[in-house]
Amino acid sequence: MDVSTAVFAVSCPGTATTGTRALQKERQLNRFLAEVERRALRIAEIAVRDRDEALDLVQAAMIKLVRNYSERGSEEWAPLFYRILQNGIRDWHRRQVVRKRVMVWFGRQSGDENEYDPVAASPDPTGRTPEEELQNSEAMQGLEAAVHKLPARQREAFMLRMFEGLDVAGTAVAMGCSQGSVKTHYSRALHALREQLEEHRPE
Amino acid sequence: MNEPNDQFGKKAKAAFDASVDKLDAATLSKLNASRHRALEELTRPTRQWSRWAPATGVAAAALLAVIWLQSPTAVQDAAGPVNVMDMEILLGEDSIEMLEELEFYSWIDVGDLESDVG
Repeated sequence: MDVSTAVFAVSCPGTATTGTRALQKERQLNRFLAEVERRALRIAEIAVRDRDEALDLVQAAMIKLVRNYSERGSEEWAPLFYRILQNGIRDWHRRQVVRKRVMVWFGRQSGDENEYDPVAASPDPTGRTPEEELQNSEAMQGLEAAVHKLPARQREAFMLRMFEGLDVAGTAVAMGCSQGSVKTHYSRALHALREQLEEHRPE
Repeated sequence: MNEPNDQFGKKAKAAFDASVDKLDAATLSKLNASRHRALEELTRPTRQWSRWAPATGVAAAALLAVIWLQSPTAVQDAAGPVNVMDMEILLGEDSIEMLEELEFYSWIDVGDLESDVG
């Protein structure tokens, strides 16, 4: 702390405490968002099959969390953040349905359904061999396609529990339903995915 | 964090984590920018205003109510002769008499119908 800051802190102790608390809160939020943002992006991307749209959804969820829930305890942030994100994804799907109806009405097709390639052609920063890379990419491609085919609620439960690692209670908050419903959706999702991916399993 | 304990879960989680690790630099940069954009919300002055907006609305409504009640014309309008007349009409003896004679009026109606048929 330099001299001017110290003098200011002594003359205005209340302001200094408030400033320190605000800075601490900002650091906590920054750490939390930095920790979840990449997984959140992939979860949103699997749900909407478009990276740019997923980036928009994640940014909107971040802003809403900071604007509305920054004063909540940090242990509540993950379920709240994913609840906002899931609501955003649901709204996005609703808008897509309306958009498709409008396109059909005007006799046009959006034609962008098959443009997305989930395997990005970028170098692997973790240093895996090409064989491992190929195996992982193929596994994720198959898994991603299978997850996308699940009913929305099963997909939400599966991604929040399996990919984000939320517990049943946290997933229930994020999905806005009971813990019993989470267990049911998750169990059905696992069953459906196992059946779908059986053919992709290596001998 | 909740880790999967079965073989399928472990494989699924590993594939997902690998796809997260593979995110390219441009995407990571966009995420970083998004995070900083979100954190700017902490210092936005409108946020403080919006937090007090409901309370401000209630206070403004209460103030308007007080001004209106203290205004001489408002008192005259609210409790003046016009409102008393309204009450007299609503609770006037004529109305009660009509209610007491409902049977008589329905008997007249039936009589009219019968004479029409006849």
